Amino acid sequence: MRGIQLSLNQTQRLRLQRALELLETLSSKASLNASVTVADNIPVNYEDGVLKGHGTTELDGEVVATVCGVVERVNKLVYVRALRARYKPEIGDIIVGRVIEVAPKRWRLEINFIQDAVLMLSSMTLPDGVQRRRTAVDELNMRSIFEENDVVCAEVRGFQHDGSLHLQARSQKYGKLERGQLLTIPPYLVKRRKQHFHHLEQYGVDLIIGCNGFIWVGERVEAKDDMVVDDHVNKSEQHSSKSRNWTSLEEQEQTYTPAETRQNICRIANAIRVLSTLGFNVTLDVIMETVYLSSSLNVEIHEMLGAEFCVLVAESEAERRSSSAKRKG
Amino acid sequence: MGSVKRKSVEDPSEEFTSPLKQQRDNGFAGVDEPVACVHDVSYPEGYVPRSSNRDSAQEDSKAPKEFPFALDPFQLEAIKCLDTGESVMVSAHTSAGKTVVALYAIAMSLRNKQRVIYTSPIKALSNQKYREFKEEFSDVGLMTGDVTIDPNASCLVMTTEIWRSMQYKGSEVIREVAWIIFDEVHYMRDRERGVVWEESIVMAPKKSRFVFLSATVPNAKEFADWVAKVHRQPCHIVYTDYRPTPLQHYLFPSGGDGLYLVVDERGKFREDSFQKALNALVPASEGDRKRENGKWQKGLVGKAGEESDIFKMVKMIIQRQYDPVILFSFSKRECEFLAMQYYLVSDIDTSYSHNIQVSNMLPLLKRGIETFSIGLNMPAKTVVFTNVRKFDGDKFRWLSSGEYIQMSGRAGRRGIDERGVCILMVDEKLEPSTAKMMVKGSADCLNSAFHLSYNMLLNQMRSEEGDPENLLRNSFYQFQSDRAIPDLEKQAKHLEEERDSMLIEEEDSLENYYCLLQQFKSLKKDVRDIVLSPRYCLPFFQPGRLVSIQCTGDDDNAPYFSIEDRVTWGVIINFERVKGLSEDIIVLNGSYIVYYPDDANKKPEDANYTVDVLTRCSVRRDQVGRKTVKIVPLKEPGEPIVLSVPISQIDSLSSVRLVISKDLLPLEARENTLKKVSEVLSRFAKEGMPLLDPEEDMKTISGHFQVQSSSYRKAVRRIEALENLFEKHEIAKSPLIEQKLKVLHKKKELTAKIKSIKRAMRSSTVLAFKDELKARKRVLRRLGYASSDDVVELKGKVACEISSADELTLTELMFNGVLKEIEVEEMISLLSCLVWQEKLQDAQKPRDELELLFTQLQDTARRVAKVQLECKVQIDVENFVSSFRPDIMEAVYAWAKGSKFYEIMEISQVFEGSLIRAIRRLEEVLQQLIQAAKSIGETELEAKLEDAVSKIKRDIVFAASLYL
Repeated sequence: MRGIQLSLNQTQRLRLQRALELLETLSSKASLNASVTVADNIPVNYEDGVLKGHGTTELDGEVVATVCGVVERVNKLVYVRALRARYKPEIGDIIVGRVIEVAPKRWRLEINFIQDAVLMLSSMTLPDGVQRRRTAVDELNMRSIFEENDVVCAEVRGFQHDGSLHLQARSQKYGKLERGQLLTIPPYLVKRRKQHFHHLEQYGVDLIIGCNGFIWVGERVEAKDDMVVDDHVNKSEQHSSKSRNWTSLEEQEQTYTPAETRQNICRIANAIRVLSTLGFNVTLDVIMETVYLSSSLNVEIHEMLGAEFCVLVAESEAERRSSSAKRKG
Repeated sequence: MGSVKRKSVEDPSEEFTSPLKQQRDNGFAGVDEPVACVHDVSYPEGYVPRSSNRDSAQEDSKAPKEFPFALDPFQLEAIKCLDTGESVMVSAHTSAGKTVVALYAIAMSLRNKQRVIYTSPIKALSNQKYREFKEEFSDVGLMTGDVTIDPNASCLVMTTEIWRSMQYKGSEVIREVAWIIFDEVHYMRDRERGVVWEESIVMAPKKSRFVFLSATVPNAKEFADWVAKVHRQPCHIVYTDYRPTPLQHYLFPSGGDGLYLVVDERGKFREDSFQKALNALVPASEGDRKRENGKWQKGLVGKAGEESDIFKMVKMIIQRQYDPVILFSFSKRECEFLAMQYYLVSDIDTSYSHNIQVSNMLPLLKRGIETFSIGLNMPAKTVVFTNVRKFDGDKFRWLSSGEYIQMSGRAGRRGIDERGVCILMVDEKLEPSTAKMMVKGSADCLNSAFHLSYNMLLNQMRSEEGDPENLLRNSFYQFQSDRAIPDLEKQAKHLEEERDSMLIEEEDSLENYYCLLQQFKSLKKDVRDIVLSPRYCLPFFQPGRLVSIQCTGDDDNAPYFSIEDRVTWGVIINFERVKGLSEDIIVLNGSYIVYYPDDANKKPEDANYTVDVLTRCSVRRDQVGRKTVKIVPLKEPGEPIVLSVPISQIDSLSSVRLVISKDLLPLEARENTLKKVSEVLSRFAKEGMPLLDPEEDMKTISGHFQVQSSSYRKAVRRIEALENLFEKHEIAKSPLIEQKLKVLHKKKELTAKIKSIKRAMRSSTVLAFKDELKARKRVLRRLGYASSDDVVELKGKVACEISSADELTLTELMFNGVLKEIEVEEMISLLSCLVWQEKLQDAQKPRDELELLFTQLQDTARRVAKVQLECKVQIDVENFVSSFRPDIMEAVYAWAKGSKFYEIMEISQVFEGSLIRAIRRLEEVLQQLIQAAKSIGETELEAKLEDAVSKIKRDIVFAASLYL
């Protein structure tokens, strides 16, 4: 219970404390033993070779942790998984970021990493799926795709030779995110999954849990069929840019989001906020659980961030985990 | 608009005639063959061909490229497809001018400011094309494993492997590429690498268009249908058989001294001259050839001082001015030898100088065939095949007609030679029918060689939308097997009808009889197997003993349906152990000549011993001069011949022995011996030949027989019982029993066939490889490469990086810290085991330290293999373990220590080319490991690997070469 910033009354504080203690007892003992702080020795067997991975270094012939975290071992490899670290990109991660600069042939994105990420114009699937041509006009039109402060979803492509982090948008489902909320939570609360894009049908909402701790909750956008047979290979450049403006105008007319959807977006977003305050892992299941809990208890959206609901969530989570632990045991 | 070329395209009547005329004017007026091509289109399901108004807009712009020469119809046809912006597959012979289509596609893309990718199967070809394109377009880049030049260029030349990994990594090129040119796409049938093409084509961006250039494949339409289906776009097929320089095929019989034209430049097969060539073969029996395995080159290469066949021929070629010449040899050892020989010759005879360049290069070719069979530009006037047997990974096989077509296509330089010459050296091992098929046959089908790999799986799982199942569903393999279903259904239906139309009277009782007969036969066989197992009967194979042997039936496939076996008698001359030889061969063996029939259906259990038996045989030569020898009853006409028969063909041993003459070479001696046999037979005609009684006579000598005697007695008793049953059987007296049984037998065979077809149908309806995919995913989970919900874990990320060696074994090796604790040189040496797969016969063992490391590798490999086996992946554990070879460890160790190349060549007994290839591949592996070390954050190992790269990457091994 690391200083959760909430104004709790006496009973709420007790209840929360009890729930968190329960959760602590439920978490595996092994990881407790393996946790280290900076400069702690990590016991290894030197007889056979040791591979020192991330978060470790050798000091006076001993393997020493360079971060606070949990020691993980894969065969002979020893590395320390940091507990509360900044986001560290890995190839293939789905991330959400915000455009902070439009530069020649590239956008710079803030993604909660130690440096800004680069999204090259060439790494970008154009919004209407048109095949890109390498012309100067294209570069001049970059702002028609993303502008400063746009929220963008992309995939980590990898580090270039110069150490910069490159992103890519492989298909239509990546790109600009509109009509929704961007949440920022500590990145270590997001676990890598097979799926990071979620479509919550009953709410008409898209949920993108970015590995970097940026979470997008927005109105459902139908992915355009990028398999249209009639493509635009022979369309002239001017024509295609015109059509882009046209469609964006058209879209603006349709930008009205129904109130119900807006409420849903807010409810889901608040659920995530609560989880993040409590320091729980943010996964689709837990989010949905929290949303159900709030709606079944008829908690208003704005009340969700209150102390009472927070404690309720902690209790229900503790109960859920202990029951599942019992089932396993 | 306005160019000559465009006009001809618009006018279809002119299109086929004008270039044809042009062609005729260029030379050989005698060629009457139409140069036309076949054009076809595959549309995806539900595709509506769009109106052509946009095309007309396109027409306004100038053609992107004009060629200084008149184009062939197939080129025009293909270019027309490109102009309409649709994919095209061009299937034509090597050197027919497919490159023109590629050039046009590149020019078009560059004009439209779009990117274009050209991929080819090998680095050599990529390098060559890069230079060609660079000269032509300038905005060209190259990406192979070795070099990257200007990766931002609009036209990128690369190997298909690089293209695949770019797609996995999501390179930006993918989003900009308008046209992808796959050269030599028939490589897709390659057992090892073919799958790369399938992956690349399936994963290619949906917006792009394709140009497939391929050798002539009969099922080009099928391929196009697949592309159309997977990419939902029309795909054109342009197919032509046309050769710009016609080919003449000659045979050169070994031992002979002349060339025989068997296929002329019009593609006509000359039967008479084919026969003549075969008759000119110098029969080996007249030579002093000894029966030794793999020594056939003796005849080819010749003894020191004597002129070999090849030598003779090359001389002839030069005399007739058929040079320059390419020699294809499928044995590396031979390549080396030939190269050496020419080297020596060149000192003496300057007229050979132009050969030196060609032959010198040969040892550097690991897979000379592949390198040449693709469009590498190295034409010659003449192509010579010294031998047409090729080692195919696990066994020798004949060159297929498709490969032959590919390689012979090298002959004849366009615009220089009037015709190409292709010479096939034949020896008597080559079946005339095989030779005929090879020269006359059609091209190989393009069949999928799809298979799964862990690297592929992990890469697919890692990317968000990657789904291995999707890849499987869209694979050409799946497409082909889906397509085969209606065909199979038809077949099954047809067979069922045939079966049902067979009506047999009294079928039930007949079937009963049939079963009895089968039982009887199998029992008899059991008895014979016991009695005639080498352990018991070898002591009785004394010279002079009379044996009854089974006659060779007229038709080997038709089983006979009587209780009596067709047997005859002969005299044992000798018996011997054989060493797995399976050629038709005649050997002079001291005092007599033995004829060894090439018996394809020799069973493994008789591979051990054969018995030389003198008996009556009919010898017939078929029209192509091939001898067939059949054992016939003594009374029938035939020659007395000493024949080597497997023990299984012996029916029984008699207790009679004859005195035979010492010298059986003269015909009379053999004839006399056989006469004696007949006399003996007639003497015992009434009471039957006295046979060796297995229990009485044979047990005295071998006490072992007791062990099996009980089962022997049981079998004998049952045979007697069965014999009684036969006599009493109601149907046994039926006059047409034999024919009826034959019909029944046929019916049974049909039923079995239907069953197997149905099984094949069932297996192709389900997703191909589905079970294997599941099993492999299980392996990945078990080894901790992926989590239970298919998220790739740390180990999996490492394995993703490794594509040039076995990814699982190497990853395990790395995570077990093996690479970390050893010296750099030792590490390099250890890794060499992962890239070296050739088996050396008598490789010396590496020194102890290296040997120890190798054992560690083997342990790791065994563990990996065992896990796979437990997860139900089909794998032979020991085979897998022994696929890692320690043979070049010492040499690579020395190389890493800084030895000179000639010094390491002395250490190992391998060929330069193979070793260079291995070291280059080793460097690839090291580069991949560097990436892997980076991703786990192990900086020391990374530095060590970098050091390793710098240690091996030097001198001749990494000199740029066209041939590697």
